[in-house]
Amino acid sequence: MIKYHSLKHYIPAYFVSFLAIIITALPIIWIFLISIKSKNDSFTRPPKFFFEPIIDNYIKTINNEFFRETFFNSLLITFFGIILSIVIAIFAAYALKRYNIRFKKTFMLWLLVAYMLPEFLFVLPMYSIYQTMGLYDTHFGLALMYQVHVLPFSIWMLRSFLEEIPKEIDDAALIDGCSPFQTIYKIYFPLILPGIVATAILNGIWMWNELAIAIGLTFSEAHPITLGVAQFRGYASKDWGGMTASSILALIPMIFFVVIAQKHIVKGLTLGSLKG
Amino acid sequence: MKNNIGYYFLIPSILLLAFTSIYPLFFSLVNSFYNWNWGEQRDFVGFENYVFLLTNEEFWIVIRNTFLFASLACIFEVSLGIILALYIDRIKVGSTLIRTILLIPLMVSGIIVSMMSKVIFNNLFGVIPFYMKKIGLKSSFFGSPDAAMPTLIGVDVWWQTAFVFIIILAGLQSIPQEPIESARIEGATEWQITRFIRLPMIRSLVLLVIIFRSIDTLKIFDLVWGITGGGPGISTEVVQTYSYRLAFGFLQMSKSMTVMILFSSVVICLTFIYSVIEKRNND
Repeated sequence: MIKYHSLKHYIPAYFVSFLAIIITALPIIWIFLISIKSKNDSFTRPPKFFFEPIIDNYIKTINNEFFRETFFNSLLITFFGIILSIVIAIFAAYALKRYNIRFKKTFMLWLLVAYMLPEFLFVLPMYSIYQTMGLYDTHFGLALMYQVHVLPFSIWMLRSFLEEIPKEIDDAALIDGCSPFQTIYKIYFPLILPGIVATAILNGIWMWNELAIAIGLTFSEAHPITLGVAQFRGYASKDWGGMTASSILALIPMIFFVVIAQKHIVKGLTLGSLKG
Repeated sequence: MKNNIGYYFLIPSILLLAFTSIYPLFFSLVNSFYNWNWGEQRDFVGFENYVFLLTNEEFWIVIRNTFLFASLACIFEVSLGIILALYIDRIKVGSTLIRTILLIPLMVSGIIVSMMSKVIFNNLFGVIPFYMKKIGLKSSFFGSPDAAMPTLIGVDVWWQTAFVFIIILAGLQSIPQEPIESARIEGATEWQITRFIRLPMIRSLVLLVIIFRSIDTLKIFDLVWGITGGGPGISTEVVQTYSYRLAFGFLQMSKSMTVMILFSSVVICLTFIYSVIEKRNND
């Protein structure tokens, strides 16, 4: 039953939302406007609101070889990272749901600690071991290191999606002679596919945005997009065209994903414990 | 089930997590007792690194900065997020759209937020300093030691408030409606319902959000690295950028790892508190 309230109830609510939306959106809109301004138009006082839009900044950014490289590096790193985390996490999540694991509580606490540890803790130890293993400055090395964050996250998420599936399905599969492997990929995988996609997206967003670990573990070959954007900043940077256009370009995929994964983000933010 | 296959399914996760979390902790812990700077020299020095840091004035300034940033950012984000959630909880038409728009900053990387802030707050050509000067306000943001930290906090509030908002909103929407309806029938005002029914019901969720945000703000790196680089002077230097500078600026590897060991212990303690509250929450 929906109770209808008086206008006095709704007006402040819409007013607050309106204010919040303005404060959220204005900086992004302003940055977008600067990204389509010519150099002369972006450095005027007072700031110009009406001007002739140009796309030169975008062309310049896309033609910037370093930026383009980092964009594709990040695609590759994110791809490796997602595959690794989902494949490994789905088995762990299944084990946690299906079997009596003796050290389950310790394992869950370990996941939480690993997820929370500060990024810079990893940088020096991994720098040193990656040098000897040949993983330093590689896409795979970075994707591997990111597992400390995305693997616990994926296990929580997939476990909470698996919990929603009745146990009887599993028993039925077992009686029909399915091995645990077959049960996972023939029965559970299709059932929780939307959950897997949402988890992959949220993992992807995190890896796409990661900076601290990437600074430490890349040198020239595997710089991710965050460093591609960062190149345009300098102490007194005057390349506003590059700064804003690269920011918008790096942002577009994220906005797209937010819209797709919107429904599952609440679950993601509470590490699988709260439904959206 | 007698079968051991459940344990086999956990082995890849355990190996991967051991490599990426136990190993770095162990490596850092061991090296915090040595004097090692990438070179051949690596002498055991006992607690010298710890003593050096804990008696170093710069280290304490960094600690103070970090806790100042974390506490203020947390207070603003949590209170703003709760207020937003309480209001938007009333909305039935258009709430998905509102939520989606408000979520966007959360998905923007720290480095992009840094770029945006540098452009918007630029002292000469930035749009905010221009209009602040116009209405006669002092407008120095990242350039002055006094204003840089409050501005950073403001930027973080823009960036992360949605996290609190979205979780608290989900919490509010999952509380049972009956007590609220009956309170309303008995003539309770909306404020009384919020104060005596809604907020007590989401208390533990609020606690979880506070701890989560504390850990996250204590770990701040991207914004500081991207906007101020710790400056002017060391007025915005925080733990993770300090550790970064010790390692890559001064090649003080052991000291940098000692900082991270001290810092990680704080984070681990907070994580334990989080897990205790979460457990109580779920029972």
